[in-house]
Amino acid sequence: MSTYKLYYFDGRGRAEISRLILAIAGQKFEDIRYQSNEWPSHKSEMPLDQMPVLEIDGMKLPQSMTIARFLARQFHLAGKDNLEQAKIEAVADTATDLLNKFGPIIWYQEEPEKKASISEFFANELPKHLHNLETLAKAYSNGGSFFVGNNLTFADLCVYDVLENILEVDANILNQYPWLKTNRDEVAKNTNIATYLINRSQTEF
Amino acid sequence: MSSGDLKFYYFDLQARGELTRLILAAAGRSYEDIRFGFDKWPEYKPKMILGQAPVLELADGTQLPQSLTIARYVAREAGLAGSDNLESAKIDAVVDTQKDVNETYFSKVFPEKDETKKAEELKKFLDETVTKHVENLGKLKKAYSKDEKYFVGDKLSWADLFVFQSIQALLQAVPEVKGKFGEQFKPLMDAINGNENIKKYLDARPQTAF
Repeated sequence: MSTYKLYYFDGRGRAEISRLILAIAGQKFEDIRYQSNEWPSHKSEMPLDQMPVLEIDGMKLPQSMTIARFLARQFHLAGKDNLEQAKIEAVADTATDLLNKFGPIIWYQEEPEKKASISEFFANELPKHLHNLETLAKAYSNGGSFFVGNNLTFADLCVYDVLENILEVDANILNQYPWLKTNRDEVAKNTNIATYLINRSQTEF
Repeated sequence: MSSGDLKFYYFDLQARGELTRLILAAAGRSYEDIRFGFDKWPEYKPKMILGQAPVLELADGTQLPQSLTIARYVAREAGLAGSDNLESAKIDAVVDTQKDVNETYFSKVFPEKDETKKAEELKKFLDETVTKHVENLGKLKKAYSKDEKYFVGDKLSWADLFVFQSIQALLQAVPEVKGKFGEQFKPLMDAINGNENIKKYLDARPQTAF
């Protein structure tokens, strides 16, 4: 029986995808959250002076997507073979591209720059990424509601997590994307995810 | 296995395509290495699943986008992605760390048109980013390696190939970076340069701007 500790700030940010995987898997873990004034004293404990970090049986793993991919494989959310795993990762990478564009705006920018960046993002970035996600779904989903091979996988959770941040700003972004909307509903229907989301504390980011 | 089984589409550049070509070379896997200039891109773009390159196309027409997903897939197929989940993750951690640095170079230094600003960004990149990166790679190697050459365990993985390729590419673009890496990666670079399959590929590969 492995023990898991996840270290991050007190927010969703780049750690939430891993929390979602652990939740759907029903895996207990220590959800360690450092406030920003606590972090400096713990920085040198992390392999690359960054978070999130996953500690598995005492071994520390850095890099948010490395952690997420590891957990997805550990809990059978990464497809049934190499090719399915690659399709799932292609979707996850596309969702991460979106997070890398939107995250820094939401997490680090201040007004009035933030408002302008958000408008620019909605006009020029978001549509092509949503379109790309639907293209991948069409190619990989076997006609179903999940991104890859008719089962809920890491791909669906990744997209769910990334879009959550964006939907907070504009709840209507999926109106033109019926497949993505249905996919999102299907993820939220999963019992473990639904329970996790109800009990999850509200955080600033 | 005929080369018709696998097609790799990318520009006639190293950039985001070379890692996959290196992995396929190391694996001795034959494939169609489809390269095109920017002038031909309008012809290829609509055939690529997300209108981007690189793309890996399998025998049945399935296309995979996203350069690192493609690289990880061919690495797994070739047994260069670790022997269990944890080893795969350690390899991924090295890859993601190298990727962060490459992206910093490509977003902050490479596109800067103003010569003065570019020199400033480059200095910052060398003094801060690369310095920290060499430290980070050292830390990861210490934590994961069982060998003086390879990053994870005691055999070649795609993380080694990615660091090798990234250092080479950076040296070509910014020769002044040479001193920053010291001697610590020499055993790795020598081992990769000496690998029979890779040597054959490197000797034959076309010279490109980057």
